[in-house]
Amino acid sequence: MVRVPDGHPDRRAADADDVSAHGSIALATDFTLAERVAGYVPLLAHGAATTLGVSLVAIGIGFALGAALLGVSMSPGPFALRRRAVALYVSFFRGTPLLVQLLMLFYLPSAAGVDLPPPIAALLALGCNSAAFQCEILRAGLAAVPRGQVEAAAVFGLPARKIFKHIQLPQIAVAVWPALVSEAIDVLKGSAIVSVIAVTDLARTGRQIVAGNFRPLEVYVMVALIYLLLSLVVVAVGWSVRRRLTGRWAARAPRVATATTAGLLP
Amino acid sequence: MNTSSNPMIEMRNVGKSFGAHRVLRGINLDVHSGEVLVLIGPSGSGKTTALRCMNFLEHHDEGQVRIKGATLGYRVAPTGQRVRDSDREIAAARSPLAMVFQQFNLWPHMTALGNVMAPLTLARGLSPERARAQAMAALDRVGLSAKADLRPAALSGGQQQRVGIARALAGKPEVMLLDEPTSALDPELVDEVLEVILSLSREGMTMVMVTHEMSFAAKVASRIAFMEKGELVVVGSADEIIRHPTHPRIQTFLAPWVRRSLPADTVAAEVAAA
Amino acid sequence: MIDFELIASLLPSFGQAALRTMALVAVASSGLVLGFVINALRVLGGPAMGAGVMVWISVWRFTPFLAQLFVVYFGLPAVGLSLSPFQAAALTLALYSAAYYAEIFRGCWDAVPKGQIEAAEASGISRFSTFRSIEMPQALVMSVPLLANQTILVLKESALASIITYPELTLTTGRIVAERFVYVEPYLLLACTYWLMTLAIGAAGRRLALHIEIRRGTAQ
Repeated sequence: MVRVPDGHPDRRAADADDVSAHGSIALATDFTLAERVAGYVPLLAHGAATTLGVSLVAIGIGFALGAALLGVSMSPGPFALRRRAVALYVSFFRGTPLLVQLLMLFYLPSAAGVDLPPPIAALLALGCNSAAFQCEILRAGLAAVPRGQVEAAAVFGLPARKIFKHIQLPQIAVAVWPALVSEAIDVLKGSAIVSVIAVTDLARTGRQIVAGNFRPLEVYVMVALIYLLLSLVVVAVGWSVRRRLTGRWAARAPRVATATTAGLLP
Repeated sequence: MNTSSNPMIEMRNVGKSFGAHRVLRGINLDVHSGEVLVLIGPSGSGKTTALRCMNFLEHHDEGQVRIKGATLGYRVAPTGQRVRDSDREIAAARSPLAMVFQQFNLWPHMTALGNVMAPLTLARGLSPERARAQAMAALDRVGLSAKADLRPAALSGGQQQRVGIARALAGKPEVMLLDEPTSALDPELVDEVLEVILSLSREGMTMVMVTHEMSFAAKVASRIAFMEKGELVVVGSADEIIRHPTHPRIQTFLAPWVRRSLPADTVAAEVAAA
Repeated sequence: MIDFELIASLLPSFGQAALRTMALVAVASSGLVLGFVINALRVLGGPAMGAGVMVWISVWRFTPFLAQLFVVYFGLPAVGLSLSPFQAAALTLALYSAAYYAEIFRGCWDAVPKGQIEAAEASGISRFSTFRSIEMPQALVMSVPLLANQTILVLKESALASIITYPELTLTTGRIVAERFVYVEPYLLLACTYWLMTLAIGAAGRRLALHIEIRRGTAQ
């Protein structure tokens, strides 16, 4: 089955079908604002849960893949091929819009005969995108540990694995944490895009409700506020983890550029 | 000083280049048990590189380095080719040596005690109890047992460097390498570190030290090696090298210090005044 | 394997679409001025103004651009403000980027050593003059690479204008794919177009930063 991208005239019909899947949402001309909001907040909460779930998994994929990419880029090989390959990957995923990446990951496989379920394509796109950013964040964190400390450990006989675990890792963790929290929020915001490929997240739920009750201003403002709330929760969690991290190690964290301040894209 | 047995460290014809820049050439130097060897010379003379070649922090390009008779860093394969030792072999060959760094290189997320214990538990595999005992003894030796639970950021530069010395001492090394141990310190903190080094030398610790503290070098050294432009120019006693230098290049090198600190009744002083 | 003739035939519509994308980014760059003003308000206004500014910035930075776009395009008509896709996208993008630019300016202003401001105050220089003659020159220079980076981010966000049917690059590609059922070449072209624009902005920003450093005599 060939998928129909946004922009195609048949697309609008698809939205209306989604609404009927929820049963009828009252046209709501006769209810007060509070009653209306009470009516669709449960739906939005469900969408928010999906958004959170998708974001968390995508962040996890991004971290694992980003760390793996960093490892690959630092391993030796002919003509620095691995480093260049990783640099190309990072440049592509940081240099093209997330929406384009999502569309490509959704439609190109279907053209080749592989129909990826929308949630999978969404996770793949968000995860691969985040991996590029997290790779660079981790790279900066690693570079921020002074060379002399690693040397001293080596000279005192510590093998590389132990140097990484006991000397570098504790300092990297403290240094990169703020940048990782920032990236987590970016993933959360970016996840709104998956609504265009029929994943029922917060944004899509909002669209469905609007298609039913024709009150776009209040619904979309609610949607935006819920995203704001989710972001603030992430910030709060990030902050408390940071307190625990720096409490435990209490080193002056080496300064690391965040994804948004990290100079220009290659 | 026991010179009849194997020297602790032997350097034979050691050479090193950084790219096109030749930093060491034809270094032949022995370090004997119980002696304090001080390397002095102008910047760029290669003295720090020579020190760092002794424990393979810098990889020598030519020649041989031996620790207690065993070659360090490379071995010669049956084919005659130089083959680099594995990391484990290097760590084993290095184990009689310990190093104190100019920038201290303490690990900021560990306490002073943690810093001193880490090589013992992580590299030597000592139990935490034994490591703690040895570490506290070392901290006590440098006068910092009261600060054991503080992090480096809470310590002065002189205290941090003393922790660095304790960290080197705790593993009961046979040779201590000191790379400009006081160069990064404010002047008023230098003496506390030099005192510790002096008292260690009086206990018979074998030491190789790179320093700019000329009067201290004269006081503590058994032998002094003067290096310039990557070469070992001359090795001699403190008297021969610092107090009454006859070599013209040494006289030129020492002139600024003489004007400042060495006793005026030395030949060098006369040269500087001329 | 790749149909280059097809790509060649697509170039005219891609060119047009690229111009529309650039038009969006250009208008959004007016957000630069707005962001500067917002930061100036924070610096020169009192604590209440500063707090208000931070709330405003946080709202724009912690909500997805897509949600903002929906509020402006779908929501505002309910209160009488009906905007075309271009107007809605440009307005939202400008306000969105203004918040991020304001954040960048804030960071750069904070990076000016406090001692210099104290010295100015002790010398009797007014707050406004200090802002203009002491903080601004240094902060602006610092901000150039970050501003260029943010412009790249704005370029990437502009792709979302496709969702509210503004025929920029991404929507145009979607239409081509839907009408002709060719997938690989259009998307490849789309990705490469954005990628090239990103690299171009990056290079331009670096050159500008270098040029500034040379003029100040601080180039390495």
